[in-house]
Amino acid sequence: MSGDPYSPAVRALFAEPGHVGDVDGGEWAMLDEQGVRVRLSAVAKAGTIEAMRFRAWGCPHLIAAAEWLCGYYEGRPLAALEEFPRAPIMENLAIPTEKTGRILVLEDTVRSLGQKFGEGS
Amino acid sequence: MTTEMVYLDYAASTPVDPRVLDRIREVAESAYANPSSTHAAGRQTHTIIAGAAKQLGGLLNVDPQTLIWTSGATESDNLAISGTARYRAHRGRHLVSMRTEHKAVTDVFDMLRGQDFDVTYVDPGPDGVLDPADFEAALRDDTQFASIMYVNNETGVIQDIETLGAICRERNVLFHVDAAQAVGKLPIDLSKLPVDLMSLTGHKFYGPKGVGALYIVDRSDCHVEPLFYGGGQQRRIRPGTLPTDLIAGLGEAAEIASGLIEADLAHLRELRDILWTGIQDIDGIRLNGSADGFPGILNVSIADIEGESLLLDLEPICVATGSACNSKSQEPSYVLRALGRTDLEAQSAIRFSMGRPTTRAEVEFAVSKYRDAVARLRGMAPGQAA
Repeated sequence: MSGDPYSPAVRALFAEPGHVGDVDGGEWAMLDEQGVRVRLSAVAKAGTIEAMRFRAWGCPHLIAAAEWLCGYYEGRPLAALEEFPRAPIMENLAIPTEKTGRILVLEDTVRSLGQKFGEGS
Repeated sequence: MTTEMVYLDYAASTPVDPRVLDRIREVAESAYANPSSTHAAGRQTHTIIAGAAKQLGGLLNVDPQTLIWTSGATESDNLAISGTARYRAHRGRHLVSMRTEHKAVTDVFDMLRGQDFDVTYVDPGPDGVLDPADFEAALRDDTQFASIMYVNNETGVIQDIETLGAICRERNVLFHVDAAQAVGKLPIDLSKLPVDLMSLTGHKFYGPKGVGALYIVDRSDCHVEPLFYGGGQQRRIRPGTLPTDLIAGLGEAAEIASGLIEADLAHLRELRDILWTGIQDIDGIRLNGSADGFPGILNVSIADIEGESLLLDLEPICVATGSACNSKSQEPSYVLRALGRTDLEAQSAIRFSMGRPTTRAEVEFAVSKYRDAVARLRGMAPGQAA
């Protein structure tokens, strides 16, 4: 017996992700761990993230979280990349605890992206 | 095609045929007496059960007296394997089965291992077909029982039951067949097949859930110890008050299947061809199983695709996945692993299973959805062109 493993938010974000792709002229980071692959790329202007895009190979929760994350960071300062919004993601998307490892890969990718921007400044 | 649910999971369960439903309702309303009672109402119920046994016996071409009613294939498998192994333990404690059997079989063998039985699981070939020579090589002087499924529930692979059974007869090994996916779908003549026990269930061939049967050959050396105790029903092999309405429904489903098997097979072959032809050119696709398996099942793996996302993207098509069916476990299918598939290949596997009510339009819709889903997910993955 099992109910729907996906929250309405996960279903919506997975079905129509508006942030799939790559940005030109910015930084990118990619991780391949725990059976998932995530690539994040972003472009910033005057210390603010103008656009963020993702590519992902993984479960619907990971793809939905990556999509949510791109929307979250756009318009925020680059310094925000040092603080990963793990709790809001887990709550807003109702990510099951057994998927936490995949969200941690996303978190590491964000940190790696932040470091790339730090190195470039 | 609409966006309404498209059910392509007939190997998991089938809808109840309306004629079966009518029969169940009729019997439930009119024949409520205990079939063990000797009064007129009990005798009426008993007659209905005997009639259902005759219908099922007709489908399998066996004496109705050789059929034991159960709650379904899981109970039948348990009764056949555990009951026979324990009854014949004095003849030997070695048992043989196959790596790709259903859990209702392997879990029983694993349980028996804990009771000092020795179990050998034979591996099939990469196409899922068991080589009779490998099977024969696994038999020993102390082998007393073997169990091989007729049609694999994940891949649709059909085993050569006639040859395997003949080997068992030669070696004096009792032979059980889990035919949950075969009864009512393939022509089966138990008067000719060298099979000693056969498990079946109603809900795989348009009958009700909660009822099945175990065929036990009428021979002095083939007997099973009961799993349950508490009455003398069904020769004490499976005591308990029988569900007359469900049994009548199963009998009706058997009667209907008797006249439709060839037509059903032709219909399923056509649908399977449409499905496979529609997707076989996709880069990285791989058929799991043999090309000449049961046509109601098509199992495919696909490279560079994550299975759980594929399954969600295929909605509203209802299919089965090659993983453990829920987000809590991504354990790849042990059946596909036994065929040599990698974890990733097994995890990306989708089982399409079609049935009597499946239409061409539904299968064409499935082809379109599958192609779209693969393209979308590949387009989303790192390393793919934008």
